[in-house]
Amino acid sequence: MELVSSAFVNALLISAMYIVVALGFAFLLNVMGFLNFSHGVIYMVAGYLCYQFEVIYGINQWISLFLAVIIIAGLGIVLERYFFRYATGNLDRMIIISLAIILILQNSVNNTVGYLARSLPSFAPGLIQFATFSFPVDKVLTFVIGGVLLASLIWFTRNTKYGLQMQAVSQNLEGAKLQGISVHRVAAIACAIACGMAAIAGCLMGALFNLNAFMGDNMLVKALELVILGGIGSIGGILLSGLLIGTIDAVVPLYSSGAMGTVIGLAIIVVILLFRPQGFFGREFS
Amino acid sequence: MGITEKQAEIASTSEKSTEIARKKNFVQPLIYCVIVIALALLPLGIKNPFLLHVLILTFIYVIAASSLRFVITSGQYPLAHGAYMAIGAYTSACTAKLLGWPVFLTIPLGGVVAMIIGGFIAYPFARLRAFYYAMVSLFFGLGVIQLIIVLTKWTSGAGGLVNIPHLLPTTDKTPYYYFFLGFMVICLFALWRFEFSRIGLTLKAIAQSHMVASSVGISEVWYRVLALAIGCFFVGIAGATYAHYNFTLSPTSFDMMASFWLFIYALIGGISSFSGPIIGTALLVITPLLLSSLKQFIPYVTAGILLVVFYVMRDGIVGLPKLIMSRFGKPKPGSGNRAF
Repeated sequence: MELVSSAFVNALLISAMYIVVALGFAFLLNVMGFLNFSHGVIYMVAGYLCYQFEVIYGINQWISLFLAVIIIAGLGIVLERYFFRYATGNLDRMIIISLAIILILQNSVNNTVGYLARSLPSFAPGLIQFATFSFPVDKVLTFVIGGVLLASLIWFTRNTKYGLQMQAVSQNLEGAKLQGISVHRVAAIACAIACGMAAIAGCLMGALFNLNAFMGDNMLVKALELVILGGIGSIGGILLSGLLIGTIDAVVPLYSSGAMGTVIGLAIIVVILLFRPQGFFGREFS
Repeated sequence: MGITEKQAEIASTSEKSTEIARKKNFVQPLIYCVIVIALALLPLGIKNPFLLHVLILTFIYVIAASSLRFVITSGQYPLAHGAYMAIGAYTSACTAKLLGWPVFLTIPLGGVVAMIIGGFIAYPFARLRAFYYAMVSLFFGLGVIQLIIVLTKWTSGAGGLVNIPHLLPTTDKTPYYYFFLGFMVICLFALWRFEFSRIGLTLKAIAQSHMVASSVGISEVWYRVLALAIGCFFVGIAGATYAHYNFTLSPTSFDMMASFWLFIYALIGGISSFSGPIIGTALLVITPLLLSSLKQFIPYVTAGILLVVFYVMRDGIVGLPKLIMSRFGKPKPGSGNRAF
């Protein structure tokens, strides 16, 4: 029973974090037509920034989380202005610029903090007792934060001015321009949100698991899987595929090795995509 | 009126380009011959084993990047090329080590196995177009690497396969250098012949417009399978020789980042020309290793090269002469080279 409850909590938690990162990734893809292969590295840098503020400078952990998120969101705006803007809609150029950003950020982390694994202190130690089950507080808290972020992001895209503008840009770029929408401003906001969400996920996951310089690669793969499998331009598809992949990742390693779980998950994804290239609820993307 | 003018423009530029191509037919092989002879004379002057090692690695990656470019000319974007290299490398290494087969039999076997797998993969993948093809092949490549990690019994898993039989019965770098130089020249010559044969032209036609190509009776699926099979064969034997040169193999040297790097080698040189991947690989493999005194700042140099090519040279380094001409010479019609 203990195993089942912990697998359940882990599945929800991993799904929530995957969805948070993948939603930011999907924002960039929808609004800018930019496939950000450096998203995983941005996620990793946020964890290390939080570590730097919290452990090295001794700032309160919630303030350091906040600082890390603000800095990474600002970095997102800079990246949009000077890098991403020139690569939209061209896969070759996306790969070149993403690799350049990956090289710069990853080596900056290696040169300043070092390549050794670090661990952030837990954000909320302790256990919650619920009937006969006990859940770690930090995992529940991470899940709640993820859920709140998702809900507020969906609210943002459906109800606010900039959210509606984002939808307009992703549906029809030329039409949105003709209506007087500043595409670059919308893209900058999308980029800041995407990087900020990756930063929150990076800090929270860094507190639950260890930080290391290559933790972003795995997260990038998961974000790609979620976005492509769920379908480009669909939030519901990302939620569904996030729950699916999170559950596979949390449950399969209980019965076999982690690599076997990855192989099974990837095989399922490739077969689904061969029959339905646009994903579960996606539209055609060119 | 505008249309006819444009047509005349296009006709004149295409005439010009065929003229240039005819002229290049004499110049380009000459340049290649000079480079090969210079490379063949190099070990007489330089006895530094590290430099020879760097050049050998460059030769291997030149084959891999050129075969990747051959696949790209057919309009497919395989982000799994590292995985095909891994298939060739592990097939050859495992048969040579576990079954004791001679190395010169297992290297072609690695290529053939990679070719067969590539061909079988290309058939279902032929229904996917550019972006989706790239994504699904990326997931396929990740799956292959994870499968190599899972099959611990044969591949030693994530720890890496060690004690692979040697290619040549010596540890001196010079014989290896000549072997890989000859190997690269043979592979590039074969790829060159493929590119400018009927197959290569057909592949380019499919990449430009698959609708038009299939409407004039070209079987698109068959040619895409053929392109990937040929590309996989060459990358497979490149991986196999790498395995027997390096003596150890680790799955991480063929993972997603390795596939991206092969793609970058081709892109930086320029995928519009045959010499693109060769120039790109030479630049990106040799430069960081020659600047090894910079130690941890080498990746910044590489990133700088990528950024310069990204912002200034749209067509990669092979587009540079054209770019300079368009900047300083008189503007020619139809030359679309601009900074942004």
